[in-house]
Amino acid sequence: MPKTGHFILHSNVMPPVTAGRYELVTEQVDLPFDVEPEHTHVQIAAPRYTMPTDQILSSFPPANAEGAFGDRLPQVVLKRRTLPWERNPAGLVQPSATPWLALVVVAEGEATLSTATAVRDCVTAGTTLLDPDDKDVEQGLYLAVTETVVKKIFPCQDDLPLLAHVREVDVNDTELANGDDDGWLAVVLANRLPVFDDAAGKAVRYMACLVNLEGQLEALPKPLPPVASFEFALAQDWRVLASASPGGGPDVQVLGNAQLGNVVLPAAGLQGQRPPGAAGAAFAAAGAAQAKPVVSIDGAAKMAQPPVGKQWSSATQQVAAVALDPDAKRLVRDTMAQGFRLPIEAYAIEKVLRFPVLAHWSFTTNEGATFEKLMQQLDVGLLGSVAEAPPNTPAAGARPEVVQTGHIGLGHRTRRGDPVQAWYRGPCVPFPTARDSTSKDEPLALAHSADQLRRVIPDGREDLALAAAFEIGRLLALSQLSVVSALLRFRGEQFGAGRVREVLAQLLPFELPSLKGERVDMGRFVALEVLNVLSKNTDRMIGPRRPVADPGRPLRVSGDLDQVIATGLGFDLAALRKRADAVGVLSALEQTSVPVALKPGQAPNEKLVVSALQAALQGELQRTLGVAAPRVPGVVPGVVPGVVIRGARGRATTPPPDALDALIAGAPADDDEEDRS
Amino acid sequence: MKALINAEVAIQAAVSAATNYADIVTDRDPDDGEHVVPGELRRFLARLRLLHGVPFSYLVPDATLLPIESIRFFYIDRAWTDALVQGALSVGTISSADRTQLEAVYPHIRAEVDEAERTIRQPRGEALLKAGSGTITGFILRSRAVSGWPNLHVRAYSRDVVADDALTTAAESDPSRMKVLRMERLAPAVLLVLFDGVPAVVHIEEPRQGIQFGVRIDPDGPPNQRRVKVRDCNTGDPVPPEKGFTTTNSVEVPFRPNAPGVINMAALRTRLAAKAPNSGGTLEPNEYALQMLRFPFRQVFGDPDNQTESERSYALDQFKAKVALTTWKGTVATSLAKVNP
Repeated sequence: MPKTGHFILHSNVMPPVTAGRYELVTEQVDLPFDVEPEHTHVQIAAPRYTMPTDQILSSFPPANAEGAFGDRLPQVVLKRRTLPWERNPAGLVQPSATPWLALVVVAEGEATLSTATAVRDCVTAGTTLLDPDDKDVEQGLYLAVTETVVKKIFPCQDDLPLLAHVREVDVNDTELANGDDDGWLAVVLANRLPVFDDAAGKAVRYMACLVNLEGQLEALPKPLPPVASFEFALAQDWRVLASASPGGGPDVQVLGNAQLGNVVLPAAGLQGQRPPGAAGAAFAAAGAAQAKPVVSIDGAAKMAQPPVGKQWSSATQQVAAVALDPDAKRLVRDTMAQGFRLPIEAYAIEKVLRFPVLAHWSFTTNEGATFEKLMQQLDVGLLGSVAEAPPNTPAAGARPEVVQTGHIGLGHRTRRGDPVQAWYRGPCVPFPTARDSTSKDEPLALAHSADQLRRVIPDGREDLALAAAFEIGRLLALSQLSVVSALLRFRGEQFGAGRVREVLAQLLPFELPSLKGERVDMGRFVALEVLNVLSKNTDRMIGPRRPVADPGRPLRVSGDLDQVIATGLGFDLAALRKRADAVGVLSALEQTSVPVALKPGQAPNEKLVVSALQAALQGELQRTLGVAAPRVPGVVPGVVPGVVIRGARGRATTPPPDALDALIAGAPADDDEEDRS
Repeated sequence: MKALINAEVAIQAAVSAATNYADIVTDRDPDDGEHVVPGELRRFLARLRLLHGVPFSYLVPDATLLPIESIRFFYIDRAWTDALVQGALSVGTISSADRTQLEAVYPHIRAEVDEAERTIRQPRGEALLKAGSGTITGFILRSRAVSGWPNLHVRAYSRDVVADDALTTAAESDPSRMKVLRMERLAPAVLLVLFDGVPAVVHIEEPRQGIQFGVRIDPDGPPNQRRVKVRDCNTGDPVPPEKGFTTTNSVEVPFRPNAPGVINMAALRTRLAAKAPNSGGTLEPNEYALQMLRFPFRQVFGDPDNQTESERSYALDQFKAKVALTTWKGTVATSLAKVNP
């Protein structure tokens, strides 16, 4: 990949095969038995009648642009590098270095761009195409040009390889790559400079058409000896057709008996008689007058007109085709093709050729000054300075009174109606100025009305510059409702909030929060303030405090307390008392043994444990079985009495069912079970 | 506790509110920070400072100040734009209290709008630059170049760091480059550009809408002839002399007779092949394209090294082909063979 800012030019990038349908035949040889050859059909697709928009990366001059494009060749940049060589313009299968695409630039009035037409009609009648069924769209556009125009502006066959090349750029370079994915671009150039009409001094509208040359290489002009200079003249001027709008509306046009009045149409062969060196505009008029077969469509003269029936059918086809287009697309196309929709085919005597148009755009070339020339001839200066008038020139209009500070003297009518001269200076001044004046007699830091900014300068005249600025600023703010409301809201938010706070500060007994720090949530602030006050006056506002601990609940003991304790611990109180009489209460208690179920560290009695575990196991087993197999009678006897065996009622007498029966009976019973649970 | 708000309380509150609450933050934008002035108002005032919406006759009071085909540089008079802002702020100040309050808050408004001026135009992918007020300069260009070449590139530098004919430029946030505060076409042929500071050098460049192909007009030759400057086929360097058109550095473009502007490509190729160094007698289509390349022009204002007017414009065609074309042909052939065996 080339470095950023660099690119590599390649003459062409040839595809191994051209677009079309291929049959791949696979044969096996040298086998002891016969094998049928395998036929695989392959279609290699390529644009033919329309260029997908995602394949066009950029075009120059830009579509609908207006500028001095007279010394740049129009170009279109295509995304797929092999596109210009994917078909053979000679109608052969082999790839050829001659591209099948050409960028043709026509001026307004030289050719016609059709509306959407069935693709078989997009080429000159009688052209043989390689595989006419290979079409990417059903309807396309074509460019209708007379043979004379083709001879003049279409590229020669020898030029074609020079008009297409491949560029390899760095994909990351947006200026060169234009958003391509692999950095390889095919460029198709035009062979015609879209020059400006110097003679008439008029801007010229051009349309660039990317045309398909397949099968029509023979129609291209033969090379002629070159000349050193050119003159602007349309190759053929059909613009009269646009100015002569036949009366009666589109019906008359379609029916073919249009009254063109005195309009004179260009005739074939006329350009050959062109006097060398004649200016283009003069030629257009003079040439038409000299032309012998003047074709005037007045209904009486012999007309070079197609039969009515043919016109009708093509017109209906066109209308139908246009109706198929989505509306927006049609509008754009129509606008771009404005001026290129003259019905040349209906009136031209000589042969009219048709070339399929894959893409087209129009642009306007205005005066011939180039960027370089314009920029070099610019008058450079500081704003507020006026160039000195040449001394000998007559005073053409009053020159403004401009002084070195950039002030300009303008007529001013005072409020009393006196006409005076006042000074004005815009925001753009020829030297740096101080923003804030330090002298004493200067206006206030902030003006509230324009009059505060009016100043009288030492020469006795008023300087209204700042007053005018104030006034226009006021009007600009007033002109936008959103700005006025934003100003008022801002003022309300600041001034209003401050005012409310000041009022409250005088009314409320507690300290208000500062507005200058964090934003204050008033509700929260009030809640905190209330809690604060409450906590300070609890006895008065809430009530007496709850004691720290509640008194305990009195125990109810019936009978002798000693007896109750002794019974609870399981020893004989009478025996204890007896012993206590002898040895004292404490030693008597020490000697008394309290029955304990299990001493710490003692192994439990195995018999007891085993029987308890067995009982628990049995119980669990029965419960599990009762849930898992509720209807099996063999298990039922073990079930703990009282547990209902769900779903088993009334079936105890039936013979023990096998597994299948259980399954069959299962489903409704399960539903039943769920309902009940 | 007082039960009622009387007039004395209300007036006292208004008087102290007018002066004491000027710095209350009313705008808290997580992206933009805290500001006294709300964002929409700040942006409107900043746009006003950059003269958005100001009628053109207020900028240029007389047509003689801006003749046809001229460029006029200027400084912005900050007192004038401040008056503009004060006019806008005077809307809706009804009472003396309103005005007192506005006077109290005005220093904050002025400081924040100074900062907001720089954020009005934010090119994508460039760092946001923030600073206080400074000198604003600019120019008004009234020329057919504005209408004929939409999307002109305008760049200003505080120091002359970029070579006049360099293909590249410094990024917009580069310290040597001046930030463009506003660039707008006021009319089809009038371009207003404001810079944040006083630039040393201003470049105006033809838009780079892809690299184009074309021919040149010899300023000294007849207007209906064209020439093509010859380049070395191996390096891409132009053949000396660089300035002007001579028979050694350029060829005449052959046209098809009787056809307006149609170039005889084959004849031009022969002529170029005869003139271009290292052509080997014939030009391949890519070598031919190399000869026909045209690069954008750059007009330089303010470079003290440029003595004459014509030196200030540069054709940016000083690109170098680093590898010989024959080497590249080989590389491409092998890589293509891999793709399409």
